[in-house]
Amino acid sequence: MEISNLSQEHKGLLDAFRDAIVAIDEDKAREIAENIISETIDPSTAIKYSIADAAIKVGERFDSGEYFLPHLVMAGDLMEAVGAILEKHIPAEKIERKKVIVIGTVQGDMHSVGKNLVATMFKAGGFEVHDMGVDVTSIAFIDKAKEVKADMIALSSLLTTTMPYQKEVIEDLAAMGIRDRFKVMIGGGPVTEVYAHDIGADGYGRDAIEALDEVKKLLI
Amino acid sequence: MRLSLWEILLRTKEGPIIEEKQFDLSIFKKIQELQQKYDIKYDPEKPLDVDGDLADRVFQAGVAFFLNIGTYCITTRRVIKLTEPELQTEIASCPDELELGQGTDKVKMLHRDVEGNQEPVVVAGIQTAPFSDEEMMFKITKGCAMDYCIDGIWGGVLLKIEGKYDVIAGTPSEIYQYRKTVEIMREAIKAAGRPGMIIINNAPTSLATIAMYSEESGLRKTDGIESTGMSEVKISYDDLNRCAFGLAHGIHIHGSHSSVIGGFSATPEGAAIVAVAGALQLVAVQKSDSLRCGVIEAMVKSRVTRKELWAAGTALQGLSRNTRLIVDGSIGDHPAAGPGTKQYLYESAAGHIVSTVMGAHSTQGTRKFVVGSTCNYGTPLESRWMGEVCKGAVGMDRVTANRIVKYLLAKYEDKLRDAPEGETFEKLYNQGKLEPLPHYQKLYQEVKEELREQGLNFRN
Repeated sequence: MEISNLSQEHKGLLDAFRDAIVAIDEDKAREIAENIISETIDPSTAIKYSIADAAIKVGERFDSGEYFLPHLVMAGDLMEAVGAILEKHIPAEKIERKKVIVIGTVQGDMHSVGKNLVATMFKAGGFEVHDMGVDVTSIAFIDKAKEVKADMIALSSLLTTTMPYQKEVIEDLAAMGIRDRFKVMIGGGPVTEVYAHDIGADGYGRDAIEALDEVKKLLI
Repeated sequence: MRLSLWEILLRTKEGPIIEEKQFDLSIFKKIQELQQKYDIKYDPEKPLDVDGDLADRVFQAGVAFFLNIGTYCITTRRVIKLTEPELQTEIASCPDELELGQGTDKVKMLHRDVEGNQEPVVVAGIQTAPFSDEEMMFKITKGCAMDYCIDGIWGGVLLKIEGKYDVIAGTPSEIYQYRKTVEIMREAIKAAGRPGMIIINNAPTSLATIAMYSEESGLRKTDGIESTGMSEVKISYDDLNRCAFGLAHGIHIHGSHSSVIGGFSATPEGAAIVAVAGALQLVAVQKSDSLRCGVIEAMVKSRVTRKELWAAGTALQGLSRNTRLIVDGSIGDHPAAGPGTKQYLYESAAGHIVSTVMGAHSTQGTRKFVVGSTCNYGTPLESRWMGEVCKGAVGMDRVTANRIVKYLLAKYEDKLRDAPEGETFEKLYNQGKLEPLPHYQKLYQEVKEELREQGLNFRN
């Protein structure tokens, strides 16, 4: 159902739903999600309109400095929770599959702040994110990507001596003959766009906001 | 009596077990509460707290935070907590004086007071940056060491073995090459006539870090060992490995931790509170004798934004006023701009003035925030600047520092996101004479005179 076909009352409910998510008001967002079901509004419309719009607005608040990493984490969790409430009422075959991203900091590198920020931005941006943490081996990234049928592997490195592990993942994928199954994106303090190009990565993000824009370009 | 490292290790195995995300969010929730309770407010118009009352409240909030939230061990997913008497014993038992380096190059590292006259220890050098080859590393390190306004040198890394094989963290190449780098550094400081000066290098893994130690040709007990706490208020066993080695061999342990504006600390106020808590973690959990209390801003690639200066400066001041700890500020260590630009010097000056005036040393070297894989991205002149600014700010009062910092912020604040890239050593130095090229020397002198007019008391 298109948003333009909804009554003003129902449209108002979807707006309130979006606003509750943006405000990270969990009780209210859950209550409205239940109301959307009881009002027989198409839950797919609510996901496409309210949750997607909320993700954009949360990102804008982060970009403007009003929201911080914890807000992104909480908003991402809330979107997932209310999304699950709505999805229970959508036939399985009609549920739109989210794009899946496996992310982590490469082997030998314990830096997590930038990676956490990017992972949370991805989740708040509507992607299914599997955060593997820090010090992750190439094989672990690839195994996980295969297991969850990922669309992308995102690799963070904060040290010049761990950047070769980003290249290693790309080389391992090629050696296994599955390079074209996954987009590979890289980032991190010493990483540059030129380096990303040199090692054959598909994308590069200078910071969390640019990374999200890049992922949208590559996956949507 | 202080808690032993073994007691800490036990707590990493027996403390409450929680998910990392739950711990992260508890940081945010707690600082909301403490910020209100201790009435901590960031005022962009005052990048420095000039009277100290706010800094005292930040310190108290940091203590309350550390006792309540603790330190998360990512290896065991458990939280290490201390009681208040345990923490007070740790703080009281920490040294307020250290001796570093050897012979005529030996320096005393003392607890510094806010606006204090105690000499700040300055460890400069192009910290953790890549060098193109052994000869270039030797040359640049020697050039830095020849300057007597600095007390020590940070090392970098050579990216290839025999010019061919990649140096990769966690592999034998890391152990071999980091050891090689300190041998080159030791030769370089000898050639500069300062064989006993402090040298520091820190490899990604504890194994490679430990492998750098050799009284004869590598790092010495009198140089210290780095143990870096993870942002925010976390550790891993790899961090504790460095502590265990330092304790076993009587090596001075220098801890380092940064809180994150825009991270789970969220606000500048939160980052100031967590910066204090991180410093307490370095003392109590990582057994550090001196500690770097840092703040970074997640979305800006510079260490000297207005918010960073305020948060780090206030935390440093709180620690200096309320303890006898030996604290390292190093706020100006990583400018957004590159070497050979005025902006680099402005950014570096702002951070190092705040560090010095707020009662800290500066031991984390100096280089552009993002160097990527560009080699030789720095010169000895930035090290001289770091030394000249730190020593020139000794005894400066906070009101003057606040005025100069505001002057400097006006010069670079709106240029941080698209800062000038600068040049590499080859474009800025006469490599034979190890002297800056005339255009760089002229630029340096211009900025020096500009800051002298603003009230920075350079020693020459």
